[in-house]
Amino acid sequence: MSRIAPSFAAVLLALGLAAAAQAQEPAISRQVLPNGLTVLVREDAAAGVVAMSLQVRAGSRFESPTNTGITNFLHRVMLRGTSKRTAVQIATSYEDIGGLLDASGEVEAAEVRGQALARHWETLLGLIAEVALEATLPADEIEKERRLLLGQIKARADAPFSLTFDTMLRDLYGAHPYALQNLGRRETIERFTRDDLLAHYRAIYHPERMVLAVSGEVPRDRVVRAAERLFGRMARATATPAEAVPAPSPKGDRRVITLPAQQAQIVVGYLVPSLRDPLYPAVRVLAATLGGGMAGRLFVELRDRRGLAYSTGVATQFRTGPGALIAYLGTAPANAAAAEAGVLSELERARATPATADELARAKAYVRGQLSMDRRTNARQAWYLAYFEVIGAGWDFPERFGRAIEAVTAADVARAAERYLTQPTVVVLQPATPQQ
Amino acid sequence: MRHVLPNGVRVIIQEFRSTEVVAVQLWVRAGSRDETAAELGLAHYLEHMLFKGTTTRARGFTDREVEGVGGRINAGTALDYTFYHAVLPKSRAVPTIEMLADISVNSVLDETELELEKKVVLEEMRLTEDSPQRFLIRQLYGVVFGSHPYARPGLGTPEIIQALKRDTLLSFYRRYYVPESFTLVVVGPVDPAEALRAAERSLGRLPRSGFQRLPAPAPATLSPRKVNMSRPGSLAYLGLGWLGPKLDHADTPAVDLLVSILGESRSSRLPQSLRERLALVNSVRSEYAPLEAAGAITVTAQLEPSNLARAEAEILKEVQRVREQGVTQAELRRAITLAEAEHAFQSETAEGRARLFGRAETVWRLAEELAYIDRLRTVTAEQVRLVARRYLDPDRYGRLTFVPPPR
Repeated sequence: MSRIAPSFAAVLLALGLAAAAQAQEPAISRQVLPNGLTVLVREDAAAGVVAMSLQVRAGSRFESPTNTGITNFLHRVMLRGTSKRTAVQIATSYEDIGGLLDASGEVEAAEVRGQALARHWETLLGLIAEVALEATLPADEIEKERRLLLGQIKARADAPFSLTFDTMLRDLYGAHPYALQNLGRRETIERFTRDDLLAHYRAIYHPERMVLAVSGEVPRDRVVRAAERLFGRMARATATPAEAVPAPSPKGDRRVITLPAQQAQIVVGYLVPSLRDPLYPAVRVLAATLGGGMAGRLFVELRDRRGLAYSTGVATQFRTGPGALIAYLGTAPANAAAAEAGVLSELERARATPATADELARAKAYVRGQLSMDRRTNARQAWYLAYFEVIGAGWDFPERFGRAIEAVTAADVARAAERYLTQPTVVVLQPATPQQ
Repeated sequence: MRHVLPNGVRVIIQEFRSTEVVAVQLWVRAGSRDETAAELGLAHYLEHMLFKGTTTRARGFTDREVEGVGGRINAGTALDYTFYHAVLPKSRAVPTIEMLADISVNSVLDETELELEKKVVLEEMRLTEDSPQRFLIRQLYGVVFGSHPYARPGLGTPEIIQALKRDTLLSFYRRYYVPESFTLVVVGPVDPAEALRAAERSLGRLPRSGFQRLPAPAPATLSPRKVNMSRPGSLAYLGLGWLGPKLDHADTPAVDLLVSILGESRSSRLPQSLRERLALVNSVRSEYAPLEAAGAITVTAQLEPSNLARAEAEILKEVQRVREQGVTQAELRRAITLAEAEHAFQSETAEGRARLFGRAETVWRLAEELAYIDRLRTVTAEQVRLVARRYLDPDRYGRLTFVPPPR
């Protein structure tokens, strides 16, 4: 014991000192380079690590049934070769600095993201810039990625929860691009050529639609200078006008799908306004009264009181266009009918029986708590900063949103329920008996 | 800061100020491996029941005391331990310590709640079965550990859960949830003296039980087995498993690095060979689970059913290659850096630190955990080759496949 005690004390002391050095909230700075690229730096002196998120305004929101999945496909291939490195050289380069590098196309934005031990921040930033600006999209790597993406699409269609959720988005959004999956469809992934990917790459990577966010133990001024050096030479593009997208008009249908599975899935969805709408904070509080963790009405009523579900909750996302409030529940096939009736009656009750003062206070704390819970790591901090900036809401949106949540009244929540919890769209996955 | 209270409760408190939240965790030396064959699933069932109310806290207490203030609480049951973890605004550290102390010994295990929870746990079994990766690992442990308690399904069996009585659960609770089993961990922007006083006032007052937990037995040598299961879907899953060293073994650091070099990162050998060069799998990874009494080394892959045989042969080829030729200095250096980074990333958050400390104190020793990265740095390439020869026998392993039924 005495032999190991000193080293133990020394390590704890080191951790302790690092912690004490950083007592206040890390400061965030925003800088726009002359070519329009925005750089956000959050300096966290105690982290020991650094995370970066480079986001570009592109993704399935800007795709159509004919090119669905192209943004994600492109980003997967960008990781597979640059003018300086092959795919495996890229991987060893970031692993040598204790890091990770990844890229994907999502709904509102596409991202090249990375993290590493803080002392290697400059190498990491160089790698991110290289992948974003000097990707070569090698033909053989495109084929490897195509195979993997087709596998992913298959696995997603085999997974009961994902299949149900994806079906819900299609039914809810119809012709609006939010109905599309960021992965795309088998047909489009099979068809894309290198020229398609290259044209898309050139079309979306322009500085004025890009945001770089860096969070961690980094020297801010040097980060900004390095970003200028790496990204400053990108030329500004002529602005392309945004294309109009068809408005979703769900008909409130109920659809039953079958798949070999153990659990039945029940998903109920409604359209809600965008994150810019004044009533949006009330919608999020409403969602939390229903599905916010173990104290939401769905969990208490359907799981705790009636034992009808294992998992249940409500999903919402920050969208620039029409959002969705989606209640979900997984249960034994025998309980499916009772569970479906139960969810629908809870959603109906949300209109008839307004949230009590207690429920309101808890739901607000839950939504605000979620925001700080979700940003505990530097990787999440970087994502949040870049995401809200790149979609045009501003990097400080979460703080403003938090204050708006605080101001939500019971009357606001009642109004949100009255206005938006109408005409449920329902998708039920019934397990098919697997063939033996 | 580690303290042992007079009744045996261990308390670890770290003041960590670069966060707005405090992590409070209670670790219990009771896991699925402590169950008898007739008690399968009890440790996990008990974990659920501890959220259902105590003699002074009505059901729904987590709602008021945790979520109502913006926090989160959950729990997990492993083979060697159970832990209860909460993250809350920093001002709530003391009440949360008191709450965890209360549920640790004063839960009522109400009869009605117990019956209702059965449906929930049966659903959880279904849920696991719907997730192929999780189900594969669990079933693979069954193949590797044979008749050892580590082979058990943590959730129990539907029959045992259906028939579960309060008395059975209560006797498990009384036996294992005792001061000698507990470690309390608090990490966050807290006053350590105040947190310690709260622990002394609550957990510190429990009477010593004198209970001594039986050490888990060493597993028998692996008897090579090949199991094929039919499973709906369009993709196949393949798992290979070997017995590895237990957590507290001199070979553990070398095996950790070996498994990392084989298949824990994108540039590692199995993904580069099977996924990138040969295009045989959609994904492949190796993992090492060092448990208290034994370890499991696994390789798992998702692939087209027609590639199963070739993929297995290629995995074994990589195993053979590392046994014969060892690893390069560059691979070794990279694996050590990745381990260092993983540690740094886990230390970013209050709950990540608390988890590191709590697990180490429960199944190992905190001091060794904190010195572990330094130990990894001393491992040589030759040691990695030697442990590959010692543990990864290309002729003696367990194999499990999930194959889609014929259409």
